[in-house]
Amino acid sequence: MKKTAPILLLSALGLASSHVSAATINKSLCVGSLSKTLSGQSVRFWGYYDCSGGMGGGGMMGGGTVPGPVIEIGAGDTLNLTLNVNMMTPQEMSPYNGHTVHLHGADVQTDEDGVPETNGNRVTGDTYTWAPSAGHEGSYPYHCHVHTVKHLEMGMYSAIIVRPRDGSGNFMNRLNQDAATAYDYSQVYVLSTVDPAYHTATGDSTVFADYNPQYFLLSGKEGKTTGAPAMTLAAAKNKKVALRLIGMHSTNSTFQIKDTGGNLKPFTVYIRDGRALPTPKTVTSLDISPGQRADLIVALPSTSGTWYPQVVYKKLRDNAAYATVYGKITF
Amino acid sequence: MLKKLGLTVFLLLGHGAADAAERNFTLHIDDGDLTITGAGGTTLSIWGYGESAGLPTVPAPTLTVNEGDTVNVTVYNHHSASHNFVVQNVTNDTNPIAANSSKTYSFTAPAAGSYLYSDTLNNNINREMGLHGALIVRPADNSNTAWTGGPAYDHERIWVISDMDKPRWNDVASAGGSVDTAVYKPNYFMLNGLGGFDAMMDHNTMIMGMMDEVTLVRIVNAGQFSHSLHFHGNHFEVINVSGVRQPTPFEQWDTINVPPMSVAEVLYTVNQYGEYPMHIHTAQAETANGVYLNGGATMIMMH
Repeated sequence: MKKTAPILLLSALGLASSHVSAATINKSLCVGSLSKTLSGQSVRFWGYYDCSGGMGGGGMMGGGTVPGPVIEIGAGDTLNLTLNVNMMTPQEMSPYNGHTVHLHGADVQTDEDGVPETNGNRVTGDTYTWAPSAGHEGSYPYHCHVHTVKHLEMGMYSAIIVRPRDGSGNFMNRLNQDAATAYDYSQVYVLSTVDPAYHTATGDSTVFADYNPQYFLLSGKEGKTTGAPAMTLAAAKNKKVALRLIGMHSTNSTFQIKDTGGNLKPFTVYIRDGRALPTPKTVTSLDISPGQRADLIVALPSTSGTWYPQVVYKKLRDNAAYATVYGKITF
Repeated sequence: MLKKLGLTVFLLLGHGAADAAERNFTLHIDDGDLTITGAGGTTLSIWGYGESAGLPTVPAPTLTVNEGDTVNVTVYNHHSASHNFVVQNVTNDTNPIAANSSKTYSFTAPAAGSYLYSDTLNNNINREMGLHGALIVRPADNSNTAWTGGPAYDHERIWVISDMDKPRWNDVASAGGSVDTAVYKPNYFMLNGLGGFDAMMDHNTMIMGMMDEVTLVRIVNAGQFSHSLHFHGNHFEVINVSGVRQPTPFEQWDTINVPPMSVAEVLYTVNQYGEYPMHIHTAQAETANGVYLNGGATMIMMH
């Protein structure tokens, strides 16, 4: 009896539910080669793809995407993510052969961390296990940690979204168990930059001493103008939109939301790097550096319109703008 | 023994806090070399502050004082060019110390925290060439807290981050040439003057601890690039950003961006066994002239 009361209380608050309904999620990833046309130029990439049902048409034949598949799991779930590296997998020569999955920000132990320099150089396929705790809801990148300076640049990244579950085991449309984080729509914005010279260089080349990004992406797309945005969302007025920003770029960046008149729109950041902020922050501008994430909510107004979430990529030395990449929300 | 003696005196006098002391430091400016070992490594021509004449170091010696101390820093310039000594947000005398002369700077140690000192002359060239270091101000009672009444820690690490463009800056400036400061493409990235291969084994740079031990990491970016530092193994608490103490409870991040000429302080708790890297997450900053992992990286270890 003594134990029942607090459990009931926790259940009423929705805090204990994830333990009741934890799931085990098994997924397999393969790596494929692909070309993307960026500003009219063809650039070779390597991308993860979901091959849980077999290799499919992947490997050297394609199948990979940039970013790779976004994986959703619940807090309290156990994710077993198996990377399949085989003779068809595009890769570098030794010592940078093979690939891994680094669960960035998951704080898993050395064996699960996907770092070949510390895990015994397991680069020919492995299963990475992570069981995020309640309170660790939010957005996490995953990426290859072999010769990261090249493999990350090649496109081997995407996101794992850790979501809260309700008492029945269903995902809740909240960033975490806090009811204030409820949303109606959500999108993942993966920030990345491309220096094509890094895509053709290999090994310990001096090319990797000098990063000159030419293309600027949001979830794998160039959205150079508001008329051709990288991401679009058809929402409805008075609704809330969750945006999950994932920094896989190699420059500085600033995120903002503007209306058609260029006026800044406030949004509230609830989670950074997979940890709820003790005090959520309502701002009109947020810097995201390489490796950082933010989970935020923007409340749409009561009159119809179009807003443009956008990322300005900036130089590491002086924050001078390289380019702006646009998303679009209509309501 | 000295510590014990100090404690005895302290108890006998019954003071609530140690009295502010006078702290005297001497720095010598010279030209010299910085060697980055291992693949991709090189010997960079540098200008630096050193404890002894003719022995400049990159970074410069860490000056450690207590809040409220009277600090006197005498700087001898043995180099052929003019230089200065400025503690960011603390001192404001930017006048040059001419070649073959000296100057003494006196100031009261400011609020407990981490500060960057550097030569601010010559359009960033002097700082880039190696004339930079850290001033660490501990609480007045010299306790292992970030500030009086602030968070406690078991270990302390100072990471002075630097970046250098060897062909366009160091080679040119050391030969007396004119650096085109509009172009800066650093090809070396250091923690405490070490490439990653050394910094991953350097006990003054690595985070090491037993279960639940807390390390205060003082990050001082003396470079010209923003550096985004990602810690594996655990999140850290952000306690100070650009000299601004953060409110409690502290935010927990796994990646922190430290802009040029700024400082940050984080608390990292070792909470699981293993070996975890800490590295800059930005393309070329992980390399030494393109060689992977000999750039801005170190290790976090618990055994």
